[in-house]
Amino acid sequence: MPIDLGFVARIAPTLAQGLATTLALAIPAIVLAALWGVPVVIGLMARARPVSVLTATYVEVVRNTPVLVQMFFIFFGSGVVGYPLSGFTAALLALVLQNGAYIAEIYRGGIRSVTHRQAEAGLALGLTPRRAFRIIVLPQAFRKVIPSLSNQGVLMIKDTSLAATISVAELTFQARLLADRTAAVFEIFFTLALFYLALTAVFAGAMRLLELRARIA
Amino acid sequence: MDPLVVSLPLLARGAATTAYLSAAAIVVSTALGVFFALIQLYGGLLFRTLIEAYLYVVRGVPLLVLLFAMYYALPYAGVQIDSVTGGILVISAYFGAFMTEVFRGAVLSVSTGQWDAGRAIGLTTPRILADVVLKQALRVAGPPFINTCIMVVKGTSLVSIIGLADLTYVGKAIVERTLAPFEIFGAVAFLYLVLCFLLSQLGKRLETRLSYVN
Repeated sequence: MPIDLGFVARIAPTLAQGLATTLALAIPAIVLAALWGVPVVIGLMARARPVSVLTATYVEVVRNTPVLVQMFFIFFGSGVVGYPLSGFTAALLALVLQNGAYIAEIYRGGIRSVTHRQAEAGLALGLTPRRAFRIIVLPQAFRKVIPSLSNQGVLMIKDTSLAATISVAELTFQARLLADRTAAVFEIFFTLALFYLALTAVFAGAMRLLELRARIA
Repeated sequence: MDPLVVSLPLLARGAATTAYLSAAAIVVSTALGVFFALIQLYGGLLFRTLIEAYLYVVRGVPLLVLLFAMYYALPYAGVQIDSVTGGILVISAYFGAFMTEVFRGAVLSVSTGQWDAGRAIGLTTPRILADVVLKQALRVAGPPFINTCIMVVKGTSLVSIIGLADLTYVGKAIVERTLAPFEIFGAVAFLYLVLCFLLSQLGKRLETRLSYVN
């Protein structure tokens, strides 16, 4: 089926509006999830059993339930308790809670991948355990987790599309409105897919640059 | 009466639909994954490029967009397909890409020495692949395969958006009438947890089984 490029040009501005909302949701979601992963990984690796068990339970629960259900839970739940959240806030919260758990596991894998000897070498040089962790283990772990973080970020960008179901006017929402009003569904979904492909490609490219920058000779 | 108690039979039916969709999608996406992984590893340039393009699109486009594309566009293309079959196919095609990565990585993890050993004892290439390489690869593929299966179960929740009465759809429909989001979505989440837990238990048993094939 031929694609009507004139029509694509006409719907592009509407989709661009949606793109702005998608970005406004995706960027804080990725940053906050990366930050939220830090206390979670500290909890996971905590020596105090109750803390680590509780954190592990949280991680298992969010990782084994759909983010869509979590969005509904937060969105409709917040209304019932009298603090109605906007669809945008509910989507942001759900994305951060779910992906923060995944990212915490990524951090844990990164920290584990740095051998124990590295920290011991630091201790032998007279560093405190805290400093050895901070200036020897952490920088190496950071370098190792960048590719996995990139993957998780791409998944998050794609998952922002779910916010359309709680009436956040992002890309997919706008595309669906267009599809309901016109019959040119091929053009609409083709353009929509291109928008997402471009978005994820730019993000993955930026993360790749970061990875190269972080690499040592 | 408590909204949760009243809606339990409905939720159970939704869970059954989710289990059915998940099982079908896992079977189809696994088959696609194994097939595509083998093509990507051993196929000709043309097929490898096609698979590469497919992986690229799936990696960059949300599952929801693919489901909408199927839902809105197929009728225009003159394809009549019921939304259950369509949903299973789209979900399988989407997670088939993840499965491809899982199996490709697993096959690559088997050292090339195994190939040489197979040749040295006079096995043909297909037999080395089947009896030597794939058997070992399957064992490596276990954990990431189960993770991907869990992603499939969670991914099926998106069919609720195109109107299939799965667990998420039923939960949302009940909440709209009972205004008890915590109880109902809590129960929905719990049922997903149970499904995923059963799946990982099954995976663990399969893994121990496979580790005896030595």
